[in-house]
Amino acid sequence: MDLATSMLVAASGMRAQSSRMRIIAENIANANSTAANASTDPYRRKIPTITSAFDRELNATVVKAGQPVQDASDFRTQYDPGNPAADKQGYVKLPNVNSLVEIMDMREAQTSYEANVNVLDASKTMLSRTIDLLTK
Amino acid sequence: MTVGPSAAAAAYQAIAKIGAESAATGATSGAAGAADFSQFLSQAMDNAVSTMKGGEQMAAKQATGQTDVVSVVNAINSAELTLDTVVAVRDKVIAAYQNIMQMPI
Repeated sequence: MDLATSMLVAASGMRAQSSRMRIIAENIANANSTAANASTDPYRRKIPTITSAFDRELNATVVKAGQPVQDASDFRTQYDPGNPAADKQGYVKLPNVNSLVEIMDMREAQTSYEANVNVLDASKTMLSRTIDLLTK
Repeated sequence: MTVGPSAAAAAYQAIAKIGAESAATGATSGAAGAADFSQFLSQAMDNAVSTMKGGEQMAAKQATGQTDVVSVVNAINSAELTLDTVVAVRDKVIAAYQNIMQMPI
């Protein structure tokens, strides 16, 4: 049944977006996590990846959340000599997380999730309306 | 879910039997058709029951934190749609049966 399949495909999209949301939450929560000392790196931003995969059971292409990739860009630095993680010059390495970028990513994940919810809702309504034909 | 699907299946089979008996005077293919129909119905009921059970299991898993809410919504949705279909078919069959019973002879 195509409508039942489309509901499951939309659900896979919702699952992928929620795992993306989890990674964004990790990034935002760790935006100020410094390292324990100067020789180690602070939290490195993770980039959520989303891939498509063909589901043989459903006979449809579903969405899968891939392994998150580490962002290789430079860390932010801040002058804070009293911090235990400060180097000899007094600079502390801060995570390469940009809150604005994360907020934009979050909005996108939210919109995408809602789009999938709408697809699920529409498919369900179509199925229900078809079943309703029997009750008349 | 306390709806007795086996009871409904039995009712369908009884109706199919009535159909088979009334068709016995006619062609023999009528009886075979009735058996097929009852088979089809019991298969449909089996599928419906397993879908409903899947929905319940998912809800229980969610309660213990073993699965995500999307899977639960999906399972319950398909259970609901299956139940709707079964109820609609049952109503149709019963309406047809009542129509036949009310037929003036």
